[in-house]
Amino acid sequence: MPELTNLTTDEAIVRQVQLGDSEAFGILVKRYEIKILHYARKFLFNYTDIEDLAQDVFIKAYNNIQSFDASRKFSAWIYRIAHNEFINAIKKKGREPVSYFDVDVLWPRLVSREKADHRANEQELRKMLDYCLNELDLKYREPLILYYLEELDYQEIADILHIPVSTVGVRLRRGREKMKWFCQKSGYHYEQ
Amino acid sequence: MNNNLEEQKLKQPSSISEKVLGKISSGQIKMRPRAIFILKIIAVILAVFFAAIFVVFLISFIVFSLRSSGLWFLPGLGFRGLGILFNSLPWLLIFITVVSVIVLELLIRRFSFSYRRPLVYSIFGVFILVLLGGLAVAKTHWHADIFWQAQEGRLPIAGEFYRQFGAPKLNFVHSGLVATTTDGSFDLETGRGETLRIFIASSTRFSLDKNQEIIKKDDQVIILGKRDNDSVQAFDIRRVDKRFEPFDRQPSPRPMRLRGR
Repeated sequence: MPELTNLTTDEAIVRQVQLGDSEAFGILVKRYEIKILHYARKFLFNYTDIEDLAQDVFIKAYNNIQSFDASRKFSAWIYRIAHNEFINAIKKKGREPVSYFDVDVLWPRLVSREKADHRANEQELRKMLDYCLNELDLKYREPLILYYLEELDYQEIADILHIPVSTVGVRLRRGREKMKWFCQKSGYHYEQ
Repeated sequence: MNNNLEEQKLKQPSSISEKVLGKISSGQIKMRPRAIFILKIIAVILAVFFAAIFVVFLISFIVFSLRSSGLWFLPGLGFRGLGILFNSLPWLLIFITVVSVIVLELLIRRFSFSYRRPLVYSIFGVFILVLLGGLAVAKTHWHADIFWQAQEGRLPIAGEFYRQFGAPKLNFVHSGLVATTTDGSFDLETGRGETLRIFIASSTRFSLDKNQEIIKKDDQVIILGKRDNDSVQAFDIRRVDKRFEPFDRQPSPRPMRLRGR
């Protein structure tokens, strides 16, 4: 089997794992455990079993690694597993309502992609996410985390959440507006 | 610099990676074989295929049923025709079709080409495809042939379905072939194998038919009028194209029930 280096792509490592090199899976876990833990902490605030849930994500990933299509991005695939695990945890604990259907999936109003000024304000936005994120509904919270904190693009977020690409734009825009409102309400000033 | 950071990170002991690798090496967690996932994908594709076939069958059957019952031609008979059409539509079949399209959409929604697009576009695309498929099948003689097999008792499984829905018994719409004509009335043989006596009054309209004075044997007609036992007082009569299922039957060595009685 070829030697794995830091520069080896995720997808190449997965191919090794699929061929039976279980040790190679450890590299993927190390590459993604901080990201998944970060995602879990932001998405599942007030949960004490974050580490266990993150561990379950990697166990599920290993169980199902043979279903991964190496022509696609591993990052979107592992985040999809994490999303499912976290949603199941929320349903199980019943702390927040999980909606199964939203009108913005049916026919999202087309919105423009992120503009340059939004990108320029990202630093400020990230601070605000720390401050006001918990106030947001799940459906707005998750795209904001994935876009601003995990730095994934629209297509990847659409693949993780299984929603239309245009819905990602709609939720990001509404999420920012709602966050601004919550931040202002709680005394934090937000310049969009 | 970044490579060094990543290298350091990879060398750091990780509780999650150690736990996961520990479970892998102890055999507590195992990779599921690739064959399971391939079988799952095949099962989903087959489910999509059969759901699509089922919807196409239902749509084509509804079109066949509308044509055989005469309802298909009612929009040409004005508002009264439209009212009767609305009240006589096979709503149960339409409901099953809508549910089946939703099931088909849910199955297709598992694939990225579907979920990446708005649900409306996806449903619209699915609906247009199955509608075109249904109309294409409805253009063939397939349902008419099966209907006749059912009428002749040679269709054990779906026979009752075809007899009940293929040429539904309606109170205000009657379609069939003219069997005999007399002054002021004629006998109509329906797709259900019944004979109805149709009475023509001075107020009876002959919609869209320039040869209204001539009602001949073997004409295919649609009658609007309330049925009273086996007789109908017609208020509207329309002659239809000869190519009209189920009466436009292909030549067959088997005896026919309607023609040549």
